[in-house]
Amino acid sequence: MPSQPPLPPLLAPYLSTQPESSLTLVSSILGATSNWLVLRFLHAALSNSSNNASIGLEDSPDGKKKKVVFVSFLRGWEFWKAEAKRLGLDLTRLAGKQQFAYVDGLSELFTTPKPTGNTLPTLSTGSPAPARTTLPLRSQPGAVPGRTPAPASSPIGQGSTGGPSISEPGIAKKLNFAGQGLTALDKLERDISTVIAKFKTAEDDEILLIIDQPDFLLASTGPSYAIGATEMMDWVTGLQQAVHATVLTLAADSPLLHNAPAASNQMATPVESEHAAFAIGLAHRAQSVMQLRTLETGAARDVSGVLRISRGGGWSTGAEENLDEKELLFYIQRDGGVRVFGRGES
Amino acid sequence: MEREIGSTMPQSRSSRPDPSSLKAHEIFAAQSTPLHPHLPATSHPHQSRAERAMAPINLSHRRTHNLLLISKLLNLRDTASPFTLLLDSLEQPATPLLKEYIRRAKLSKVHVTLISFETLRKPDGVDAFISARRKSPADIMSEVASAYQPAKTNGPPQRRLILIDAINPLLSSKNPDPTFQLASFLGSFITPRDPTAPKADASLVVAYHTDVPGLLHQQSQNPYKPAHLSILTYLATSIITLHSFSHILAQKAARDRSLVAPVFGLDEEQDGVILGRLDKLTGTGAAEGIVLELEHRRKSGRGVLEWYLLPPASRYAASHVKEVVTLLDDNVLYNPPVELDSRAEDEEPKSTFELGLTDRQRRDREGVVLPYFDAQYGDGPGEGGRILYDMGEEDDFDEEEDEI
Repeated sequence: MPSQPPLPPLLAPYLSTQPESSLTLVSSILGATSNWLVLRFLHAALSNSSNNASIGLEDSPDGKKKKVVFVSFLRGWEFWKAEAKRLGLDLTRLAGKQQFAYVDGLSELFTTPKPTGNTLPTLSTGSPAPARTTLPLRSQPGAVPGRTPAPASSPIGQGSTGGPSISEPGIAKKLNFAGQGLTALDKLERDISTVIAKFKTAEDDEILLIIDQPDFLLASTGPSYAIGATEMMDWVTGLQQAVHATVLTLAADSPLLHNAPAASNQMATPVESEHAAFAIGLAHRAQSVMQLRTLETGAARDVSGVLRISRGGGWSTGAEENLDEKELLFYIQRDGGVRVFGRGES
Repeated sequence: MEREIGSTMPQSRSSRPDPSSLKAHEIFAAQSTPLHPHLPATSHPHQSRAERAMAPINLSHRRTHNLLLISKLLNLRDTASPFTLLLDSLEQPATPLLKEYIRRAKLSKVHVTLISFETLRKPDGVDAFISARRKSPADIMSEVASAYQPAKTNGPPQRRLILIDAINPLLSSKNPDPTFQLASFLGSFITPRDPTAPKADASLVVAYHTDVPGLLHQQSQNPYKPAHLSILTYLATSIITLHSFSHILAQKAARDRSLVAPVFGLDEEQDGVILGRLDKLTGTGAAEGIVLELEHRRKSGRGVLEWYLLPPASRYAASHVKEVVTLLDDNVLYNPPVELDSRAEDEEPKSTFELGLTDRQRRDREGVVLPYFDAQYGDGPGEGGRILYDMGEEDDFDEEEDEI
């Protein structure tokens, strides 16, 4: 099969333009993951203009630089780096050029890093909203030498055992969850917004925030930490305020959505009801919702799944209401290329 | 003519409390508005379902009165409904209706306050935008109160519209304020705490996402507390449930063929489907618009149920003054016009035989004395039950057969 363009032409308009302060929700299920779509979002925002011109899109005319802050909770830096390389994106180099920042929400989220120097998170003692300047922040990796080859041999989980491996190039910040409820979420929010603020050199930089699977954070904390869907959505709203547009992925498998219907009185577990409230609540806020799922009719040799793009429930201006609602099929090839086509086409 | 018309409507509303529970009017008693003059009540309780659906008088009555009612509600005239509850879902979000509220409020120079639990940026036309993120209910209440100071004039009381884009986050917060009472929270927006302050007629419009679960921890805290939705529907003076027009059409088309009505979105319970709204795929083409299922509770205790259609905002200009909402039953897609043939009842079935009777034949037939009448005269045994036959002039006498 011929190699595919990194951005499928049918999807390009959805991937490359996000209206201001918009939220795009990408939902996935176990059989149809969202990684490839996230990578295409990255590519649409980060690849240089010549690539975009080839598919009929010009670069933003007023010379605004597009930057991406990528927060991942479920997959490690190595994974994203390798996958992006297959698309022709060198994330380490882009991080060096201050065009891309990766926030690691996986490796040290629940393991306290060794107290070396002032890197110990002191948030457990903090009040809910202390002044940001008083917080001892970890030293930013800052000017990462872009040409330095990444330590390819380091496995994903090594950061958690080997202390804060902040020297690892490309990672702007490793998140650490400490404390309870709003305090802990506030700390995460501050960590991410510090990265965003450092990153935003010019006022008119368009920063795209991609949050990959924050539902993991909700599922791993939950009501016992006084964190529910409302708190998580407030957390997302807080991050949204700092950036131009937000893309958020989460799981929408049946058990996570349908075991806690709003009207029924049957008992649902906290994960079920909180996840459903989080996912549905975000869809109510989103301007567009991209839903990935498998074919209802079973597996097929040349179709990996279905992508449905619909408008969400959020406020939108007149222009955004013209978002074309579509249902497309996609096929992920062996080489990582993705073909997107309509039903009945090939 | 405000009869219960729910039975002819797409969905039954079984989980709704009785519309005659008018407690809300006691709570919002501070808002005294003149009672709407009673409409002529010529109810036909035993009218059949078909008559009810078709009767033209009925529809024209509803057209006059119920269109007036929705226009009054959406234009916030006379504070006809101090507290309107919008029940929406992902299949039909309430944002277009909220926009319509804002548009009409702008036309009549009503001050608009939006309390935002979900919205990030201030939408067009909103005068005061209050972000409720991480704020306690008391803070929100005082911010709303300070957002608008009605001028001290002797003219008619000024009007104010307070919108809440989604009440769910407030209700399902994990860190609830122990002193928080939903009824007093909502009531505080409508009746100012300071009675000496210049009076402004406030209308509160609250959206509630019916598909967001969030009752688990609340019920475990106090099992005797009613669910939030019950409190909201109990307090509301008007409840508008939103439906997508294309879905209503698809469900009606299925019902007309006695098929199971289709469900959309989350109700499909399909793996990976959150939203089912794909207007182009439903095959209804131009069926854009929002169906509003209105339940209005009058002060008299009578409930009004009606279904309306709000066309999409792109169909009319923002400064359009005339009423754009129509009755759902008036829509040609929902209720296709029946071709009325006035002579249909007179026509006989077509056949090569003449099945009708001439006048003379009818007269002759009426003149026949049937045997059992004759038998009652009792002329003696064996005499009753004879076949009486009067020969007509066209009969010819046959001795063998026609012996009397």
